[in-house]
Amino acid sequence: MRARHVSVLLLFVLLSSARAAICPAAECDVSRGACIALTGSTTVTLDISPKPVSAMKELFFTVTVKGAKIPAPLLLVLSMPGMYMGRNEVVLKQVSDGSFTGRGIIPRCPTGKKLWQADIALPGGGNVSYRFHVDH
Amino acid sequence: MSHTGSMSITDSIYLLMFGSGLLGGFGHCAGMCGPVVAAYTLGIGLPAGHMRTYPLPQVMYNAGRITTYSIMGGIMGMTGSFAGIAASIERFQNLTMATVGLVMVILGLASTDWCSLPKGSAGRKITAPVSAFVSRIIRFISATHTTGSVYVIGMVTGFIPCGLLYSAYIAAAGAGATAGSAAEGFLRGMSMLFLFGLGTAPALLLIGHITARKSEWIRKRLYTVSSLFMIAIGAIFIYRAFSG
Repeated sequence: MRARHVSVLLLFVLLSSARAAICPAAECDVSRGACIALTGSTTVTLDISPKPVSAMKELFFTVTVKGAKIPAPLLLVLSMPGMYMGRNEVVLKQVSDGSFTGRGIIPRCPTGKKLWQADIALPGGGNVSYRFHVDH
Repeated sequence: MSHTGSMSITDSIYLLMFGSGLLGGFGHCAGMCGPVVAAYTLGIGLPAGHMRTYPLPQVMYNAGRITTYSIMGGIMGMTGSFAGIAASIERFQNLTMATVGLVMVILGLASTDWCSLPKGSAGRKITAPVSAFVSRIIRFISATHTTGSVYVIGMVTGFIPCGLLYSAYIAAAGAGATAGSAAEGFLRGMSMLFLFGLGTAPALLLIGHITARKSEWIRKRLYTVSSLFMIAIGAIFIYRAFSG
């Protein structure tokens, strides 16, 4: 019985640490300005225009990488936290050293949810995530 | 346009679309459209014996849905534009959603007997036209309870706004934008959405199958709860249609 309690406690600790390891990205107001994320010594900035950032409209995504040489293209993956919304990726082409742009659309969720997440996997290591709200 | 699919137009995109539909079917559609399928399978509001317990209507319903997806995917691929097409059909989609919601509310109300008031009462005089309208709708749905009509219902519900579906349309538009001709774009978009729709079918067929197998049990024990659930889902549909 005691061993069972210890096992449960161990499981709880493991699950708690796992939750901490996959801590969600902090929210950012992308309609007011660019979002900045850090991975190691690399700074990755995401900007989306036109502002305010709206769903169902064509958007321009600009990613600027400082502190690392990144080969093109980059892939930005859009998802909705807590709801599977299908495959929605934006291919970012290099426009200058460390600067990448691409076009994409964020779909509207009829449930009214507005929180979206953008993930960028940097070739050679490192992932950055941004969470932001879009207008409907 | 250089959306998602446009940069990676290989045969694997079709496999990915099917996989996206399959994942989305269980991770998205089961929650969003599952109640509609369950309510429809139970035949809430229809007289007993109108339960859709046999598999062909379930298949036809999904076939109708996939037909709409494929045609819309073809149009997205042909034009290479998602935002423009989506904006032009937004009102129609919302109207479809509101209509489906209204039918669900009416059928749910009809099955709860809440509309029946004592004869000659003032309330009866007020609700009589509503009751007559409800009866007419129920008679219409009962009369059109054929396999063909189920296919049409599937086609209509294929227009209900859905974020997962929008993502698939965006990919189709991106694929179409890089096509050599409008016809090629149409074929690409149509194939992609056909496979996506096909991927979503197992989840909804499973919900329909389980509901159908348990329909007698649910009708006996949870009929009122199911009706209330249907009214609530219908009301949410109407709200969403007008709040977007």
